[in-house]
Amino acid sequence: MGVKAGPRVLPGHQITGADQHRLSVDDLLPSKIMHPGDAEDAARGLRLCDLAPASVVVWGGGTQMRLGAPPRRYDIAFSTERMTRLLEYEPADLTCRVEAGMRLSDLQAALGAQGQRLPLDPPHPQRATVGGMVAANTNGLGRARYGTVRDWVIGIAVAYPSGKVARAGGKVVKNVAGYDLMKLHIGALGTLGVVAEVNLKVHAIPESKATVLGHFEAAAPAVAAGLQLARSYLAPAAAIVLDRRALWECGLSADWQWTLAVKLEGYAREVEAARDQAGGIIHDAGGRVETADLPPTFWDAARDWSAPDGDVVLLRAIAPIASTPTLSDAVPPEASVIIQPAAGVVDLRVTPSSAAPTLQRMRSLAGDGGQVVVASAPPSVKSSLDVWGPPPPGFPIMRALKQALDPNGILNSGRFVGGI
Amino acid sequence: MDGADRERLLARLREVVGERYAFADPYEMRLYQYDASPETALPDIVVIPATSEEVARIVKICAESRVPLTPRSGASSLAGGTVPVEGGVVITFARMDRVLEIDTENLRAVVQPGVVNLALSQALKPHGYYYAPDPSSQGACTIGGNVATNAGGPHTLIYGVTVNHVTGLEVALPSGELVRVGGCKSAEAIGYDLTGLLVGSEGTMAVVTQVWVKIQPLPPVQKTLMAVYPDVATASNAVSAIVRTGILPAAIEMMDKLSIQAIEAASHAGYPLDAGAVLLLEVDGIPEVAQELGERMAKVCRDNGATEVRIARNEQERQALWKGRKGAFSAMGRLSSDFYVMDGVVPRTKLPETLAKIDAISERTGFKICNVFHAGDGNLHPLVLFDAFQAGQYEAVLRIGDEILKLCAQAGGSVTGEHGIGLEKRENIRYVFSDDDLEVMDRVRRVFDPHLLMNPGKVFPGNGLQPSALRYSPGYPRRQAVAGGEDLWV
Repeated sequence: MGVKAGPRVLPGHQITGADQHRLSVDDLLPSKIMHPGDAEDAARGLRLCDLAPASVVVWGGGTQMRLGAPPRRYDIAFSTERMTRLLEYEPADLTCRVEAGMRLSDLQAALGAQGQRLPLDPPHPQRATVGGMVAANTNGLGRARYGTVRDWVIGIAVAYPSGKVARAGGKVVKNVAGYDLMKLHIGALGTLGVVAEVNLKVHAIPESKATVLGHFEAAAPAVAAGLQLARSYLAPAAAIVLDRRALWECGLSADWQWTLAVKLEGYAREVEAARDQAGGIIHDAGGRVETADLPPTFWDAARDWSAPDGDVVLLRAIAPIASTPTLSDAVPPEASVIIQPAAGVVDLRVTPSSAAPTLQRMRSLAGDGGQVVVASAPPSVKSSLDVWGPPPPGFPIMRALKQALDPNGILNSGRFVGGI
Repeated sequence: MDGADRERLLARLREVVGERYAFADPYEMRLYQYDASPETALPDIVVIPATSEEVARIVKICAESRVPLTPRSGASSLAGGTVPVEGGVVITFARMDRVLEIDTENLRAVVQPGVVNLALSQALKPHGYYYAPDPSSQGACTIGGNVATNAGGPHTLIYGVTVNHVTGLEVALPSGELVRVGGCKSAEAIGYDLTGLLVGSEGTMAVVTQVWVKIQPLPPVQKTLMAVYPDVATASNAVSAIVRTGILPAAIEMMDKLSIQAIEAASHAGYPLDAGAVLLLEVDGIPEVAQELGERMAKVCRDNGATEVRIARNEQERQALWKGRKGAFSAMGRLSSDFYVMDGVVPRTKLPETLAKIDAISERTGFKICNVFHAGDGNLHPLVLFDAFQAGQYEAVLRIGDEILKLCAQAGGSVTGEHGIGLEKRENIRYVFSDDDLEVMDRVRRVFDPHLLMNPGKVFPGNGLQPSALRYSPGYPRRQAVAGGEDLWV
């Protein structure tokens, strides 16, 4: 009885077999592809998806597609690959406006030609896009000094399933008109709308830089030295503690148990003073300052280490910085690790078999004040892990925000915290 | 609200805070009808809670009773943010003014919303730390208000605004729940960044009951210099030249000719009276770096048209240079009985043309307009001088303000850099946002506040409700010595 439902017709373009596999997420394959040309086009496309309704997974450069729970459904691969323009850039204003699909390395090249940069260094900038950086809130190793994505995004244009493009913020560095919806979309993994354009602050490339390396027999004093640097006035641009395996994976094949690598940036005299300070702190903490030649790719490799390709399982803990020593102590011997003491971030590469127990242990140590997420894992491992952990306080509000902006739940369905 | 409703509500609120801290006497209500903006409106009831739990109960009672709730703390809003335009309950934080924790290990402080901004930095100073955002009213404004407006200040150029320094909030939701959002002592939390969303929401979503802020080590040395220019255009170009060198000063402040004259008359800061514009620049750092940057900036200033550059040689000289800037608003009393301050923003490169247009407005309308502002980030504070006793002047000044905000928006800027939309600019917000933009913001607000009871009448345009009385309405008593002697500067 009644009307027999016909086969659902999905919007979007036919997808080739090769693209289907390239754009798979956690072993799920899309049926169609959309690659809008600009923000308005993206909104029109989303409207069609919403009417169908069709489940959308948003694609930038694909460097963070292993983050998040497996999608509940996956119909349309929604790619920003055609939205790559630098729309505005006024060096004297230290601001720019870019389309979400622009590669970070392309942006940095354009800024660099004017002696400027975006001081964020998310992994794989040759592939990662500005929109992806915003959606996944990817921050590199400089976060303790330069802040995170939320500190540099001053405006945003978002395409919504309603078919509308709505903006927030603006093009000036100081602006409190209207709600700061930039914050809502940063780290939302594209679950509230598709980030189509981003306005950014930029700054001048520092005139001087240097690296100080110290090696230690144990993790604890290296972490302690990193924390002391963080609390000093001459805070480094980055300070990371690596175990031997991570050190090797970053291209430095020294036989040191634990290494504190300190990246210094700033005015020439500032860097000189900071170098002396870092050397003194390393020495006082019982480490040895090393003068080994640093491979030119060291910092890039360390940056990319936390977004591994392939089947590596990466866990990321973020906790109050004073808890970093406790979290560092809990790293199992078979794991390799890069710790950012000044940011309270501990990245661990673990084996598939040790992923679950390590995750549990780190979560109990991080407590209510911290978080541990599965930042990357192959689908077979991910399916047995609680990727995000328990929903945070305020979760009912988050779910209601999702309902308000994406009522049919078409955007990255199920991938975010608490099944959003 | 009729008398019986008010009495019932008052009784319920007194059950929460006690007899003394909830009141509705008409005379006392007049003390809570205003802030630092020109507009006023009377509340029906004022309540002064002592704890987060009391706040949550108050919010719930108001929501259940469908009564508007307006949070108020230092009441230094220049945009009418704390004026209870729809009446109802005003909740103030005078009893929630404690610094709860200073955690130098994790570089955080935990404070109640009623803590005065400057008091926080003073509490941190013995530990060698401070709280970076320093709104010009920092001796009066509170952290809760700073969170509501995402307040800035002169040093935001390098250190950012409130949202860059707040890592967590405890808030009371209209549902009566007390929720802790954000990473607090951790750098971030999973889920949507509700902290970032709530900062700057002007009290329209939830009531903030506790704030986690970043603290940072005090700079060893601050180097301040004054550069004198023949006109604001040359000074503006010098600002761009400094930025091009890659030096990022902690502050770049500009004063124009009229401001300089007022300031000199009031505080003898040592600015040359024949100057067309004065720049105040500050860098901080270790002594050798601050010294070198000071000299480099001095050279750039000279190379770009400065007729005189003076570097403060010691703290005393530095304070003298800042004294004029800090007293700028008070000094306007030397020129005029009343002034109206704007808060527009333009891209830094649009400063010269925007200032020229403001000048043209001044000439056309006959109203004097002073410019004292944060040149580094393009945040203008034009002060329109007028006499409230002259019929029609206030209305004319509002039209001038509207015109200035429109041209800021047209230049690619914004209608507010740090004061907030509040009551004042709820129509001007249309200059920067479309109906579609506002519709999304409205949806977000209703997630928190479905009945639109939280600080109603603010931020969004066109709800048709007007303030019950304008401070400058005819017959209203003249304020004595506008901000005279106050250390109010923005």
